[in-house]
Amino acid sequence: MAGYTETKRVSLLGLLVTLLCMIPISPGYAALPGEQNFQQHCGICHTVGSGKLVGPDLAGVNERRSQEWLETFVKSPQAMINSGDAEAVAIFAEFNQLPMPDPLLSAAQIKDVLSYIEDVSETLPNPTAAINPPAFSQPAIDQPIDTSVEIEDQVADVSTQATTEQINHGRDLFQGTVRFANEGPTCNSCHDVRNDAVIGGGILSKELTTVFSRMGGPGVRAILGRPPFPVMQSAYLDRALSEEEIVSLVAFLQYADQEQLNHQPRDYGIGLFSSGLVGTAILFGLCSFIWRGRKKGSVNQAIYDRQVKSISDAEFRARHS
Amino acid sequence: MNTLNNFLFIALPYIAIVVFLVGNIYRYVSTQFTYSSLSAQFLEDKQGFWGTVPFHIGILMLFLGHLAIFLFPEATLAWNSNPVRLIIHEGIAFTFGLTVLIALIGLMLRRLFNKRLRVVTSKMDIVIELLLLTQVILGCWIALGYRWGTSWFAADLTPYLWSIFQFDPQIQAVSALPLVIKLHIVGAFVIVLIFPFTRLVHFLVAPIHYLWRPYQVVIWYWDKQKIRKSSTAWTSHRPQNN
Repeated sequence: MAGYTETKRVSLLGLLVTLLCMIPISPGYAALPGEQNFQQHCGICHTVGSGKLVGPDLAGVNERRSQEWLETFVKSPQAMINSGDAEAVAIFAEFNQLPMPDPLLSAAQIKDVLSYIEDVSETLPNPTAAINPPAFSQPAIDQPIDTSVEIEDQVADVSTQATTEQINHGRDLFQGTVRFANEGPTCNSCHDVRNDAVIGGGILSKELTTVFSRMGGPGVRAILGRPPFPVMQSAYLDRALSEEEIVSLVAFLQYADQEQLNHQPRDYGIGLFSSGLVGTAILFGLCSFIWRGRKKGSVNQAIYDRQVKSISDAEFRARHS
Repeated sequence: MNTLNNFLFIALPYIAIVVFLVGNIYRYVSTQFTYSSLSAQFLEDKQGFWGTVPFHIGILMLFLGHLAIFLFPEATLAWNSNPVRLIIHEGIAFTFGLTVLIALIGLMLRRLFNKRLRVVTSKMDIVIELLLLTQVILGCWIALGYRWGTSWFAADLTPYLWSIFQFDPQIQAVSALPLVIKLHIVGAFVIVLIFPFTRLVHFLVAPIHYLWRPYQVVIWYWDKQKIRKSSTAWTSHRPQNN
């Protein structure tokens, strides 16, 4: 009987697992046309024919690489880099060793995206020659990428004209003394930057002291405007940064990059650990103090002690009588 | 990898929740007398006090802390937006984590070396204690190695957890988190999963009302005269207190 019950339980659990695995995962995984997926997953860092942003210009990429290579790379760039693929490693090295996050697209969706890139590339005059102009060009951050537009050259280094107010505002936004208008989390929740005016930041994500020189103003702007990383995307979903906030943050990050040698790195790890030790000691001490009146022996300890004492007294009297 | 993430962060939480609900109701209805924790001699105040009391204070605060960030993410982010408040928040959270770690190790050693406790220790007690120990170590590791957890929990994990309860799981962010954090999350789901089959059920039937109920007079319902006869009450040891 016990065996039967156990089998039944296991079967029910198995059925439950099977049913749950059959549930459609989320709308995010639903099939979408290649263009939409490109805009959502790729267009933040890549253009097709409008120059490089955070990642390379993808115009003509279908001719430069094999379809199989592209599909494998897009499916999991980090796995391909880790496998030691020479071309993947070269791209990784060329683009600031910033790993492209896995886009979590299905094989069919990846094919759709690649064919969309191919279609757009064919409309360009010279698709095989990817345009890699100075990085100071990008479409408006809050607009879908329009691959037909000419490179804007007026959005040069946003911080060359940065004012002290912008830098200070960016610093305050970074560490949260001024909240973002849409109440998104502060940058230092996850990122650190070497600057004496800012408390030690988080270390969940990249250290940002040299991000400006590594990625350039437009690259930083692009990431702040439409974060390509899933963790950052989730954090700022429905809490996008305003244009003014982005400009201030870029100004501060450029300043932090330029001034880094005059500032000391801060590591709160040891401090946090030490404070935890001290706090724990205090907590144990408080427990000891609050429950100082607790009965430390057994329930009958007092009775036992009294008895022993009376026996001792009796023996003492017997000896001295 | 996607399949594994789907299982760990979509299927596993739903399995855990269903088993938690069904298992707890089934155990409470069918074997209500066992719906508690077998005594771990927690009134023993020499060794037990230093484990039991700090452990329960710490684990309750950690549980409530996680729950508060889940329920009030905006308030958490607002509080943490001031750097000093953030550091105080993290310091207090880590203090409770370290307290639980030290107290739990103490309790486990006590369970290991105390013969009376070993007699009443079940395999599930060992499983749940090892699981809790792993969780606490991972939690302390995350607090130190992936700062500032109280902020990114509110920003990233709270939306994920709510998406589970809204039957629209969004796992992109949680899939991209470091392995240590993923293990901590999976460990939490496993604890929820096996909760009904462990001594942890006492959490759901904790006699909170003891805190404000009137004092009770406890009287031994024994025949004291009979007990005083060493020949009947004790066979091997003569009582000292008669």
